[in-house]
Amino acid sequence: MNKQFRIAQKTGLMFRDDEILPEDMNAWIQSQLQAASPALGLASSYADVAPWPDGLQPDLSRRAAMWRRYRDLEKQAREEKNGQETQAARQANRHENLTAKLDEHKFVQRNVYGADQVKLRFTAFWANHFTIGNTFDTGQMIGHAIDEGILAKFNGSFADLLYGITTHPGMLTYLDNVWSAGERSEQAKGCARKPDCQAGLNDNLGRELLELHTVSVAAGYTEEDINAAANVLAGWGIDFGEELPQMRKRAGGTNHWNVYKKRWAQPGSKKVMGQSIYAGRNGLRQLTDFLASHEATIDHISTKLCQHFVSDSPSTKQIEAVKLVWRESEGDLQLIHTKVLELAINSPDAKFIWPMTWLFQVVRLSGATYFKGWEDIHDYDDKLMNTKKVFEELGQSFWSSRQPNGYSDDKDEWMSAEMFERRVRFADAIYRNGKPRQSANEIMDRIGASQQTRALVASVGPSWRDRFIALMCSPELMGLDYV
Amino acid sequence: MSKLTVGRRNILKAGAASLFLAGMPVTGFAKSKPPGSISVIILEGGMDGLAAMPPIGDPDLMRMRQSVTPDNYLALNDFFGLHPSLKFYAQLMASGHASAVHATAFPYTKRSHFEGQNLIEGGGLSPFSEKTGWLGRALDLSGVAGRSLSLDMPLILRGYHENDNFYPASIRGSKKPNADLLNMIAMGHQMDAAQLFTKLARKSEDSVQVPRDPASLAKYAGRAMAQTDGPVASVIRVSEFDSHSNQAESGNTNEGRLARQLSVVDDVIAGYRRGLGKAWNDAIILTLTEFGRTVAVNGTRGTDHGYGSVGLLAGGSLSNSGVITDWPGLSKKDQFEKRDLMATIDYRSVCAACIEKSLGLDHDLIAAKVFQQPELPRIFDQLFT
Repeated sequence: MNKQFRIAQKTGLMFRDDEILPEDMNAWIQSQLQAASPALGLASSYADVAPWPDGLQPDLSRRAAMWRRYRDLEKQAREEKNGQETQAARQANRHENLTAKLDEHKFVQRNVYGADQVKLRFTAFWANHFTIGNTFDTGQMIGHAIDEGILAKFNGSFADLLYGITTHPGMLTYLDNVWSAGERSEQAKGCARKPDCQAGLNDNLGRELLELHTVSVAAGYTEEDINAAANVLAGWGIDFGEELPQMRKRAGGTNHWNVYKKRWAQPGSKKVMGQSIYAGRNGLRQLTDFLASHEATIDHISTKLCQHFVSDSPSTKQIEAVKLVWRESEGDLQLIHTKVLELAINSPDAKFIWPMTWLFQVVRLSGATYFKGWEDIHDYDDKLMNTKKVFEELGQSFWSSRQPNGYSDDKDEWMSAEMFERRVRFADAIYRNGKPRQSANEIMDRIGASQQTRALVASVGPSWRDRFIALMCSPELMGLDYV
Repeated sequence: MSKLTVGRRNILKAGAASLFLAGMPVTGFAKSKPPGSISVIILEGGMDGLAAMPPIGDPDLMRMRQSVTPDNYLALNDFFGLHPSLKFYAQLMASGHASAVHATAFPYTKRSHFEGQNLIEGGGLSPFSEKTGWLGRALDLSGVAGRSLSLDMPLILRGYHENDNFYPASIRGSKKPNADLLNMIAMGHQMDAAQLFTKLARKSEDSVQVPRDPASLAKYAGRAMAQTDGPVASVIRVSEFDSHSNQAESGNTNEGRLARQLSVVDDVIAGYRRGLGKAWNDAIILTLTEFGRTVAVNGTRGTDHGYGSVGLLAGGSLSNSGVITDWPGLSKKDQFEKRDLMATIDYRSVCAACIEKSLGLDHDLIAAKVFQQPELPRIFDQLFT
């Protein structure tokens, strides 16, 4: 593969067939990394793609209001039970008030048409690192967390990113923190006197904050550290469906992000991995700052970044290079990302491409129109699948109910006959229904495909569809090398 | 469901492993089709054994766990009850085709899902030490194949190149690829990827329509295993056992998150039973989970990550039912690190006994080659006689 496409495959989403190739790849990367993160909207100049309307990008308060409305109407509908009419009303309610489907579709549009492809790859990396599974009511918040909690934070530090996503209602809900109460909190003490009341600590987020989001088990923390972290987190977050007056009463505010309920908080200072943490609201920022700059965190995440972008098995030297930038820049994400990209470009290793990323690359390379515009979001037919189903079927979706460790960067996790069948079937579906503007041969010429790839494509015979499938499922386009 | 009476046996001392081999080849490799089949249901998230099979005879249970203990439990004997969601499993217990091992775990005490899941599938001496899984290695030793009912190839089955997976695609606007195309693509790949495309080419010839819920997949797996040339092992994953909050419903402890997931497990076992048909007689099915949960209920009507749990076993190769345990007790001093149910039986021994029964491998070989633990106690006789 020629240089531009090799870089775009490893670090981006491939150049669309109508995109002009940049001459200076470093400048191309830097212009994306330095641009203020567009938190919302489509960065695209393609005439055939309508920009995503503002009306479909609700903020958290509106999302919460829509959630409450959804819940109330759903309750009404359940009580009514008059057959088809109710079914139609329930469907209308879902379309009008639930945001998950829209958000996932917007994410896809951006990945298919967005010009900031490198940034979108980092968005996927961090959205996966800080996984918010689709359980309870988090479906309503995942899209917001990805746009505002992750993508919007790339011009700042890892510490800001960590604090922002830890206090995002999506994370606080997903990892059961919203009603966790400090062991000696007013709430727990009050509850102890009532027969049907239960309040106390839930250590789920505290544990994953240490294990997955920051230092990892390699840091050797203890069960007491987890308990202390959970006590620092106690009080943070609120039920997304909480009415505004209730929210004011419990937490004094109306914004669902950054909600701290003093009554649920554990009084007194805490100690996490040897670090004293103050009592009160500011304790969490102190904890996340401590963890963000911890050597074990730097090691854990630098390794993960290298595994994701540089090589299936990165060298110690490569990992150390990222760690050095991290330390020297005090976690400046722009500089860390720049170093990771530099290593990815300089490494001769192929990097196995995630199914989700591969699908975007196939659509972009071929100029297929496989996903509908936002206008037709609730309207699909026998040929085109709805967006959510596409990614479920592929086995990789940020809107699925998955475990908090997210999708693996270990190639072996993605090697199975069924996984490979999905690649073949989607290449087929994209060819049949997406009407690619580019044939397999045109794509191979443009990207400078290897002799092996050309031989493979030639071997399958004259069918243009078979050639397209063979190209997209070639070792070169899947990012498999056999060293 | 009326009261069931099940004998309660205590396990023999760990070192008292018998050399009795129940008519199976004494050493080395199974020469032909092995004597039975083995299926593993992975319960992802850490299943609460104290709620699935509550020790109602333990005086500390209700003191510590009233809000998550089902009150409508089925009494197995004067000490153990069974969660009401496990209805089919209860019938099997009544007919001598199900057993349980309680207060058991893999030797992993650090309470991380992801380390724990890796260890119970890898079956090595520490998390992330293995590139293959214990069932994969056992099948490799026997030279017979297993199948996973999942999109991925789970670690537990890796290690034998004939193993495959099944999770039927449902993709609009695409057709099943033809075998020639897949074979050509396979030739363009190397090593494991080439093998996978070749398997796909073989598979493209049969068209099986199976719904993808775990119970239907279990039934399909049972049917496949019942065929003469079918797989002898299968793996199914049931997720969402990580019951940190609302584990049981407030006001109705028989319902809630855990009750729903246990019903899925019950349906999976029933699915296997239906699918296996006559092959049920030689089948063994066992559950596997990364850890149990805290003895005490947490602040959000759930339980946090713990240690010991229960393993559920079913299949015609069990000849009578029992709860096999060396019960540690639930009081604070009996708990592991003053919070979890202690594990007094190494669950690897249970897995080893199931391999011995189904694949006919010698225990010492399993201990050394599958679990890399030559000293692993043999508890075959407690389970299968």
